[in-house]
Amino acid sequence: MFLVKQAEEVEARMKRIAATKGVIGTLVVNPDGVPLRSTLDQSMTLQYAGQLQNLVALARSTVRDIDPQNDLSALRVRAKNYEIIVVTGDYLMITIQKLPE
Amino acid sequence: MFTDEALDAVSVRSLWRKSHQAAQDSRGCQTRALHRAEAEVQTVSTAVGCTQTELQERAAERLFQQNQNEPEPPGLRDFLQRVEDTVIRELVRNARSHAFDGFQANWEDHSQQVSRTHVCKAQEEGLHVTSVSWSCTGSVIACAYGRIDTGDWSTDSSCVCTWNLDRRGLRPNQADLVIDVPTLVTALCCHPSQPALIAGALYSGEVVVWDTSRIQDPVVAQTGLSADSHREPVHQVSWVPLQKKGEFGVLSACSGGRVLLWAVDLEQGRFVQSASYALLQQQAPSSSSSVGITSMALSPWDSDTFLVGSEGGLLLRCSFSSQTLAAAPFESQSVTPRAPAVFSFRPRSGPVHSIHYSPFHRNLFVSASTDGLAHLHSLLQASPLLSLRVSDSYVFQVQWSPTRPLVFAAATGQGMVQMFDLSRRSLRPAATIKQGATGQAATCLAFNCQNPHLLAVGKTDGTVSIWQLSADLTEQRPRESDQLEKIANQVAE
Repeated sequence: MFLVKQAEEVEARMKRIAATKGVIGTLVVNPDGVPLRSTLDQSMTLQYAGQLQNLVALARSTVRDIDPQNDLSALRVRAKNYEIIVVTGDYLMITIQKLPE
Repeated sequence: MFTDEALDAVSVRSLWRKSHQAAQDSRGCQTRALHRAEAEVQTVSTAVGCTQTELQERAAERLFQQNQNEPEPPGLRDFLQRVEDTVIRELVRNARSHAFDGFQANWEDHSQQVSRTHVCKAQEEGLHVTSVSWSCTGSVIACAYGRIDTGDWSTDSSCVCTWNLDRRGLRPNQADLVIDVPTLVTALCCHPSQPALIAGALYSGEVVVWDTSRIQDPVVAQTGLSADSHREPVHQVSWVPLQKKGEFGVLSACSGGRVLLWAVDLEQGRFVQSASYALLQQQAPSSSSSVGITSMALSPWDSDTFLVGSEGGLLLRCSFSSQTLAAAPFESQSVTPRAPAVFSFRPRSGPVHSIHYSPFHRNLFVSASTDGLAHLHSLLQASPLLSLRVSDSYVFQVQWSPTRPLVFAAATGQGMVQMFDLSRRSLRPAATIKQGATGQAATCLAFNCQNPHLLAVGKTDGTVSIWQLSADLTEQRPRESDQLEKIANQVAE
């Protein structure tokens, strides 16, 4: 019972984020790069998880090389018509938002 | 001795109901049980003939499936709890932000000028370039030679030359491949997915498909001169996607007023006519004359529509699926001709030489005729939206740029190529490409869709020039699609 409620809560939070204006989808990835939860389809989930894994590792090593006490908290990649926001912590949360014209 | 006697009635009770209610049991049977086995079946092999449902184009993408039975990863809930509010706040702020308005990242070199990279010329003298077409890979340019000023039947021979611009040893004066053709070639179109196939239209009314990978005899299929095929010079030929995905047919339009759709059988090397359309104009109640077609454009948005321009200046929107039969019966033909015209735009004052659909807006197209004007039309209105003066002489071809929604190029009879940018306030050309003597007309041009900086221009002196366009003519600016939408929604006066 407890586990089901927990799972629902996770789903509810992800749905809330995915319902924000302009969001195409959101996914949560574990530190090994395996996607855990996602609101996108299979192929896109794997693509985003795979591509961003390397970028996040590079960004994190850059921050820690400059200041070993510091750590990466968020990473944003802006393209011509969409933006990817990655928030790090125990897990990685990747959100893709479509930009207004 | 005899006395009367009264006897009681004798009754026999019915046993029928009782016998039905009673249980029955077989004690013994006289016949023996039958043994059965399959000795033989009539059908030897099975095959699926046809199915009523169509194959699904693409398997529907499933949403990401997670393992329901797996215990939830530790800390996921807390992580989300911490992160959720921050993410939502940033997303909302991002949607409202003006931080990047007007900013454009420039990753490529900016060339400010238009420069000429190659000039290719065929060996024969006295031939004009009638049509150029880039192959689907963007590295080969195919040029058709003929003459644009022939009035009468001609028996000159001509050729089709191809140059591969990515090859190192490119010799501009000698073509990589020369295909000799017994008559003049009037139009050319490269196959959209197979780089070796080229469809060509001849002055004699024939349609040919060449395969440039074959060394001995590049002709794959050729329509003969029969009652089914064209009798007049064919002015336009193009590849049309057929209903089955991946297959293409050839659509040809001639000055006899007929538009024919051919299916190409590459193994057997022949054309099969699959549809025929005839454009006729009612001049008198009993007679009708054919409308000579000089240009044709296929819509990239709607596979059923195509536009036709005629020698008399008519501009018509036609439909492939029209069922009305053509007015006058043609002599014995295997496929009955249909009348495809659905809508007529305001006629021009001279033959319409070129029409091109905008690749960025489904309702816009541009048309050019011999009165020196280029008209921008919407499919929904009969009158043009914009009328631009291109030159004082004929305009032979117009084409929209494949990368910038508001730019199109026009080839003029004075030898210049004018490029128009609709985002500018003034109606004068944004760029003029001029080269060589002014007496030579520029008859055809083609943008390279794979490499959008390149533009090929063919002229009447037999040369094909490849121009490299400047960055402001090829790179899309923000909000161009909106501007195009606004232009398309104008109501013409």
